[in-house]
Amino acid sequence: MSGLTRGVSRQDDVALVERCRRGDLGAFEELYRQHAGRLYSVAFRMVGNAADAEDLLQEIFLSAHRKLETFRGDSALGTWLYRLAVNLCLDYLRSRTGRAIQMTDALDDEPGLFDASSKGLAERTVTKMDLERALTQLPEGCRAAFVLHDIEGLEHREIADVMGIAEGTSKSQVHKARLRLRALLSR
Amino acid sequence: MSCTRSRKDIQELVDGTLGRIREAELRQHLDECPSCRALFDDLQRVRDVAATIEPIAPPDHVWLQIAGRLRQEGRVQDAPAPIAHRHQYVWLAIAAALVLAVGASLVVLIPRITDSPSVADRSGAGNSPAADAVQSGVDDLRKAEQLLQSGAAKLKEGLGSGEDALPPAVVATLESNLQILDQAITESGAALQKDPQNVAARTSLFDALQRKISLLQDTITLMNEMRKGNAAGVAQVVEGGNKS
Repeated sequence: MSGLTRGVSRQDDVALVERCRRGDLGAFEELYRQHAGRLYSVAFRMVGNAADAEDLLQEIFLSAHRKLETFRGDSALGTWLYRLAVNLCLDYLRSRTGRAIQMTDALDDEPGLFDASSKGLAERTVTKMDLERALTQLPEGCRAAFVLHDIEGLEHREIADVMGIAEGTSKSQVHKARLRLRALLSR
Repeated sequence: MSCTRSRKDIQELVDGTLGRIREAELRQHLDECPSCRALFDDLQRVRDVAATIEPIAPPDHVWLQIAGRLRQEGRVQDAPAPIAHRHQYVWLAIAAALVLAVGASLVVLIPRITDSPSVADRSGAGNSPAADAVQSGVDDLRKAEQLLQSGAAKLKEGLGSGEDALPPAVVATLESNLQILDQAITESGAALQKDPQNVAARTSLFDALQRKISLLQDTITLMNEMRKGNAAGVAQVVEGGNKS
């Protein structure tokens, strides 16, 4: 099953959005409770700190409320919200770093990652905390793809849809992230 | 199979999307090449650990901020009827608690001010250290009262006439209670001016000022919680008000 559509039917989504459009705060709270946990996790892991992730989560839902009119039910509400969230996170990261996020699909610019002599993880223990720490050191583009795929469980086609990139680019970004994480965790 | 091709296939094997024939070829290569084997094992471990990372729950206040912003921008209608009714009951409970608290205080305060003999009458001595402490406390309370009064007035001006505004019945109760307390403050102040040694008048003034400050503080807190749409915060203030 897709990482974005579990548990909620498209009809449920449309009905909930319709209630939200009518200004029903209770319905919007229901929508928030369904999706806030996963969106906050993504935001937190993409920006790397709680304060910015909270601001972003607020912005994601306020922006979603403003854009409810544009939700037609063509995609799952989860996909629609993820797209909004990831774009806002990437915008935020762009403004923070002052440069465009690289989304290349080649691994040629990764010298040393495939080097046979480079140290691997060998018998080293890798904890969740180690991985979370290393995650903050990844370039933003491949970090986003890795978070969505390996942590959130989205499929590459969903990531491609959410991030507006080719499916092949999503695959190579995730692979690049894993290689970088391996190098970071081997230190 | 070459190591270059193997490394491309390793990615798909970790993702679980590699076809059976290529997987068999790759696995044969992995058995023969320690470097590619180590790479595969490591990437698989990274993926396995990542899959165990749990979602993080956002703090509760984020939803309250979102709801507050939506209300402020007029993008949502009033809360559903049951919640609105609940708020109304809450306000009635607050009003009742305030009436009881203020009413009881006046029963105690006013006779004490008018009937009590002064310290000078009883002892013929000057101000006691306790009386000086009361006078100093009264001065501090007067300052705090002025600040809170001005804060409450500004907050009240800032609130609209919609859902966030205090219901008229509650405003009336609050104003009536403030009037009663002001009357107690004026009367005990006058008694004190007439007889600066009247300890009962000082204590009553002190007490009435404390009650007024407490009432203003609760009002400000409640208006803030209402504006934020924080039902839990409102309930907490009410619970505190009922206990006092």
